[in-house]
Amino acid sequence: MNTKVKVEYKTEKMPVFKHFCMIFIVLFCFWSILSGHFDFKHLSIGAVTSLIVAWITLPLLCIPSTTTKGTYFMAFSLPIIKLVRYGIWLLVEVVKANIHVALLVLNPKMPIDPYIVTFNKEMSNPIAHAALANSITLTPGTITVDVVEGEYIVHAITKEHGYSLAPDKGEGDMPVRIAKLFNEQEILAKRWQDVDL
Amino acid sequence: MKILALIFMLSGFFFTLVAALGVLRFPDFYTRLHASGKGDTLGIGLSIFGLALYHGFSLISLKLLFIVIFIFLANPIGTHAICRAAYRSGLRPWMRKEE
Repeated sequence: MNTKVKVEYKTEKMPVFKHFCMIFIVLFCFWSILSGHFDFKHLSIGAVTSLIVAWITLPLLCIPSTTTKGTYFMAFSLPIIKLVRYGIWLLVEVVKANIHVALLVLNPKMPIDPYIVTFNKEMSNPIAHAALANSITLTPGTITVDVVEGEYIVHAITKEHGYSLAPDKGEGDMPVRIAKLFNEQEILAKRWQDVDL
Repeated sequence: MKILALIFMLSGFFFTLVAALGVLRFPDFYTRLHASGKGDTLGIGLSIFGLALYHGFSLISLKLLFIVIFIFLANPIGTHAICRAAYRSGLRPWMRKEE
């Protein structure tokens, strides 16, 4: 059992160099866009600066998993295509949320019925928790109040919004999408396999 | 192109105005955060995106797009921080009385 787990940790630690290169490329692109000069002097200063910054921030961006000890998640090694697709979906939701809030504000009767809804979502990646909390705040009628160890406390402005996020049976649309985005199902399944062995 | 940029900017101003109205009209702290947290994000985002379109494709519009991305990342975090501070200091949310 122990040997199997150790092998998995090693495969988790392999992409550290790739992660370093990723941070460097992102920082360097950001530098070039902000500076706007593409001659040798500015580009070389930018390259040295981004190398140093990438080296300093590398340990800060390896985030320890909340469920399995010894495993780390890289903040920049996210599936980019999936992330873009999720971003577009989120943008549509944000526009819908704004139109809805505008209708609520401009309605003279103001048909609001706020209440607090709690639901539980177990995920091992802290970045996934941050993304879910941010998405909840941006989308229709809900604000994340607090997250304590996977327990979400959400303030919903009408009853329907709370139900769409945390229905009586099963899970809402958004937690499922986030879990798919970060491959949480597989990571958690793997963890339970290890425990069973 | 300019007309499209104007449409974006005007809709951005509209959403910011609605957010300000919502902050004035909603009954308590949490519901006001609903108005400001969502309205500001899209309002400022749309206006800056409109400015980027108005300027055409250049480095300046790329920088403006970066500002939009950072606002979309930072605004919900700020809203959440204020909301959590209120919740932890024991502020009760307003509820509709009649069942």
